[in-house]
Parts: sequence; structure tokens; C-alpha cells
Amino acid sequence: MLKLLRIIVALPAILFLIIGLQWAVDPAAAAESLGMPLLDGLGRSSQMADTGALFIAMGLMILSGLLTGRKTWFYAPALMLFLAAALRLIAWLIHGAAFAPDLIAVEIVVGSLLLISSQKLADKQ
Amino acid sequence: MRLSPQAVCITLLATLFNLAHADVARPNIVLILADDLGFSDIASYGSEIQTPSLDALAASGISFTNYHTAASCAPTRAMLLTGVDSHKNGVPNIPESIPPAHQVHENYRGVLSRNVVTVASLLQNAGYHTYMAGKWHLGKARDELPYRRGFSRTITLADTGADNWEQKPYIPIYEKANWFADGEETTLPEDFYSSEFLIDKTIEFIDSNADSQPFFAYIPFQAVHIPVQAPKEFTDKYLDTYQQGWTALREQRQKRSKELGIIPANAEMQTMSSTHDWDSLSAEEKRFHAKRMAIYAGMVDAMDHHIGRLVAHLKATGRYDNTIFIFSSDNGSEATGGDNPRSLLNRLGLRMQGYTNDYDTLGSKGSFNTIGPSFASAAASPLAYYKFYAGEGGMRVPLIIAGKPISDKAKLSNAFTFVTDITPTILEFTSTPAPTEFFGGRRIVPMIGRSLAALSRGEVEQVYTESDYIGYELGGNAALFQGPYKIVKNRGPVGDSEWHLFNIVDDPGETNDLREAMPDKLADLLEHYHQYAAENGVLDVPANFNGTTQVAINGIRDRFGKQLLVLLLTSIICGVFYILYRRK
Repeated sequence: MLKLLRIIVALPAILFLIIGLQWAVDPAAAAESLGMPLLDGLGRSSQMADTGALFIAMGLMILSGLLTGRKTWFYAPALMLFLAAALRLIAWLIHGAAFAPDLIAVEIVVGSLLLISSQKLADKQ
Repeated sequence: MRLSPQAVCITLLATLFNLAHADVARPNIVLILADDLGFSDIASYGSEIQTPSLDALAASGISFTNYHTAASCAPTRAMLLTGVDSHKNGVPNIPESIPPAHQVHENYRGVLSRNVVTVASLLQNAGYHTYMAGKWHLGKARDELPYRRGFSRTITLADTGADNWEQKPYIPIYEKANWFADGEETTLPEDFYSSEFLIDKTIEFIDSNADSQPFFAYIPFQAVHIPVQAPKEFTDKYLDTYQQGWTALREQRQKRSKELGIIPANAEMQTMSSTHDWDSLSAEEKRFHAKRMAIYAGMVDAMDHHIGRLVAHLKATGRYDNTIFIFSSDNGSEATGGDNPRSLLNRLGLRMQGYTNDYDTLGSKGSFNTIGPSFASAAASPLAYYKFYAGEGGMRVPLIIAGKPISDKAKLSNAFTFVTDITPTILEFTSTPAPTEFFGGRRIVPMIGRSLAALSRGEVEQVYTESDYIGYELGGNAALFQGPYKIVKNRGPVGDSEWHLFNIVDDPGETNDLREAMPDKLADLLEHYHQYAAENGVLDVPANFNGTTQVAINGIRDRFGKQLLVLLLTSIICGVFYILYRRK
């Protein structure tokens, strides 16, 4: 059961790494996959650095959590995902952005999964 | 000096009169290029396919029976539009097929070099309106498109080919079919059919300028490149035509081309090793293959029909009498597709691209059709080999030059001619000076082609003499022409990678190898080939080079290379974590 949980938790880590590395290798495609245009100049620099770093860091932290068994490694990515979901709601409610229920759901589910993992996996390492 | 107002007026009027007179005298040029049309695919060259519009052109002009192109499309197009050898104009092969080791060389990028000038640029510079509607395939970046190479109005496909019914790529190396209008990405209309659309756009371009300036219209059709697709009304005419199979068709066309004087009456023909035994097929298989070829015939017929619409429009608008037509193909018939297209693997592959090849819908929207190597040999009848190969079937194609400014009666010429001759010919027809050392402030590579204008008017019999040697190489397949002789080397899978010597005037089917009988001639031509290769920077292909495989490798790299790199990096990171986890 724990092995299955590790595999399930590893999947979003790999996905986050792919998305983050795509910002380094093919930023146009990465931007398109997130529904945004690729900016020019400083905007592109911030877009690639901030978004790429966010995803790569989340992936690495989850893998570090799986490797070390320390629960704190799961907290940071979980926090980032919950914040992302909250900011999506704010963007929709206050700033006229499109409502993205599927993405919000994914962020909440994965964030929750990470919190569960921090309890289940960390205690058993 | 002081001029009176009357003198100024008279001078201006005289200048205007001279300009107007010069434009009346300068003919319009319509350059039509079929794609992968075989040597005997039109009626005046021996075909059973109905091509009345092209027959009418042939009946009032000169048909060349010994005209050669490159055996693949982009090198031909680059030579056609510049008069410069493909190894010096940047397109020695299609870009999709150039090995990475060659791509670092300036002239091996598969993109039309800036060191050559197109006939369109020269004509535009001389005051012509220049139009293009059709396949370009000489570069797809913004400054590589025809809009930046001398064409003032364009609708163009940048890729090797595409679907004829909708804006859809025909092979998975493309994410989409890259169509451009006047240099900008564009979307095709809902009722698109390639041949009809390209002629509609050409007519629209021509009609958009009502001034007295002449025009140059370049119409490189998609027909009959794969996927072979045609409207049902054209295909239905041929459903019973090919029931006897490819061998019978090849023999029938050979007989007819002899009757027409296209080849010598005693010319022999060989059977290609890639031709399957028609009689061994089941009735169901024969029915399927016959329909494949019927659609091909329908596609040729449809192209001819739309050429006829253009001719009719030029007649109706009073432009016909001052228009010269040049019709040809970019290379010989295309053998891709195999003789078993209904295999499970083929059908699965097509499904993944959103295509089917069911009998009932074959040729229509959503279907993918080819004719395979056996019918491709029939389309190239009576010649050996087909597209990609340096055999006559890959390089010798129809060429018709017609129009009232030249002639009004049919002529045949068996003079050796080459694709690089077309640009000099157009320049002479239009009284446009050929570029010298520089054009637009840039040093350019000089043209090597010879004008066929005098030959077209019947003033001379040949443009190349016994002392002229014309070299050729594409993907390791090579040839050299001199007088009636040709040495040729074809690599696998159909060729044997050895040099052979033929007299292609007496023996266009390349059946009688003269290398044993004429060793001195072989040695002389080989020496000149090596000289040609050295002077033109021909690179040897890697020993295991295979054009089709290279297209797949380059395609995967170009389309999926970045994704593969991301996956590789991800795998490395995950692998490191996994190793650390296991060691822990």
C-alpha cells in the first residue's frame, strides 16, 4: 500500500519536473500548455525563471521527501499548490480571469495527497 | 540646355508610348509545375489519361522529350527558379533528408541561398507583376518565403506536401500544413481542393492588376504528390481503365509513346525489380490497386481541367495571345506507399494520422492514397527507376513550351535539356537581362543553364554540344550527361551503387549498359563527374544513408527533439533520486 502511495506521489513530481524543464528547453510550448503567450524581453526572463523554478522546485522537493522520508519536504509543495488554487479563485472572482475548475481540483487533490504522504510515508521511513 | 514645355510634353509622351509598347511586346509567362508527374502521365507523351488542356498547349508549342530535372522536388525547384546547380543554390536535397553532418555546410541547409537570385526577382525588377500559387518547399522562415524572393503576391505551401482537401499535414513530421499568404500564415477555405484553389488564386492575382504591365505566374501544383486524392467525378472516368494492371499499362504507354515519336521506335524497356507480379494478385487486390491508379489519373485529369480554366480565363480577358506557357514536372513518378497499403501496420499508421485507405472512400477527404512502386514504373514508362533515383524515370519528365509569342504549331525536340535552362529561357523570352556578378548589392552565383528560346522557335536543334558535361547528384544517386551519353549511379534499395553507361537518345529505357563496350567513354565521363563534384562542393553521403530513414530521423528531431530532451533530463533527475533511494 505504501509502495503504491509512493508511486502515486512520484507521478506529479515527474510531471512538475517535465513542465519546469520544458520552460528551459522549449518555452514557447511550455507557455502554450499553460494558456499564456510567450512574452518578450524581461517578461520572458521572469516568465521562464519564476514559472520554471516553481515547477522544478516542487518536483525536486517531492522527490526529496520520498528519498529522505522527512515530512517537511512535502509541506512546501503542498503549500504552493494550495496557494496556486487560492490565487486562481482570486483571479477569477476579482480580476476577470477564466474559471479553471479542473486545474483548481488537480492542485487541491495533489496538495492533499502530499499532506497525507507527509504523515503516512514520513512516519514509516 | 533649356527645353520648351512642348518639347517636354512630346518627350514624355514618347517615353510613355515606348514603355507601353515595350510592355505589349513583353509576354506574360505562366510557369506550371506538376509534382511527381511521371514521364508518360499526359496524353501527348503517351498516357491514357485525358489531358486536353495540356494537349492543346503541346499542339501549339514544343514538347521536349529529353528534358531532365533533379529526381526530388526541392532541388528541382531551386534550380528551376535560379538556373544555378543545386549544390550551389543551397538545396542539394530536400531539407528533411539532409544528414546532420551535411547541414553544417552553407549550401546544405535545404533552404534557397541568398547568394542566388530567382527569376521572379529579376522579372519583378524588370517591371513584371510576379505571382505564385502552390508549393514552395525552399524554406519556411519568414525571410525564406517566396514573398521575400521576388513574388509580389503569393499563396504558398512551405512543406514537402500536404493534404489536397483540407489544411492537414500528410506525414507526422509536420505538426500542421504550413500555408502562407503574402508571407503570413493563413487558413485554407472550407471548400478547398488544391488544384482548383491554386488556379482560383492565380486568376485572382492576375485580375488584381489591370495595368499594362506583363505578369509572371508560377503555379507549382500539389498534384500528383501523395496523398493522391481527386474529386470523384474525375476518378470515376478511370475506374475500369487499370483492371489489366501495371505491366500492361507500362507496355501500353511504351507503345503509344513510340507512336507519338516521344521515344525511338526500337527503344527497349526493362522491368524494374520493384514491380510485383500482377497476375499473382487476388481479384480483390487487383480491384483495389486499379482504384489507386484511377484516383491518380483523376488527379492528373483534374489538374488539367483547372489549367484549362486558366487558359480560358486568359482568352476571355484578352491576355492569351501574349502569354507563354511552360509546363513540366519536378521529378519522375513517386513510388512511396508500397504495394501492400492495406496491411494492418499501414492502416494503423494512417489511423494515427487521421487517415483511412478503405476502397469506397479512397481519394476523398480523409483518405490517404499512393500508387506504389509498380504503378509508379508504369507512370514513368518506358523509363527505368522513378522519383529519388538518377535513372531516367526519376529525372526525365515532360516539358512543354507553348504560346502564340513563340509558335502556333506542334514540334518535338529530343535535344538534351536540363532544369537550369528554364530561368535563362524565361529571361530571354521577356528580354530581361541576366544578372552579372552582383544583384541587389550582393555577389551572386552565376547561372549555368542555357536558354531554350532559340530551340523553342526552331532556330537551332541543340543547346548543348558534345563538349558540354552536365553533372548531377542527389542523396548519393548521381549522373553525368554528355551528348547522347549518360553515366548513372543509383544506390539501394533498388540500385546497385555502381556506375553504368547508357546512350539515352537511342536507349532512353537504360537497358543496354555500355560500360564494358566503351571503357574509355566511361573513364572520361567519370573523370568529368569527379571534376563536377569537386567544383560544386558535392558531399559524399554517409555509407549507410537512406533518404526515407533520414526523413524520419530529421522529422523526429525537428518535431519532437525538444520534448525528447525534456524527457531525457527528467529521466536523469529521477534516475539519480532512484539510485540514492535504493542505496539508502
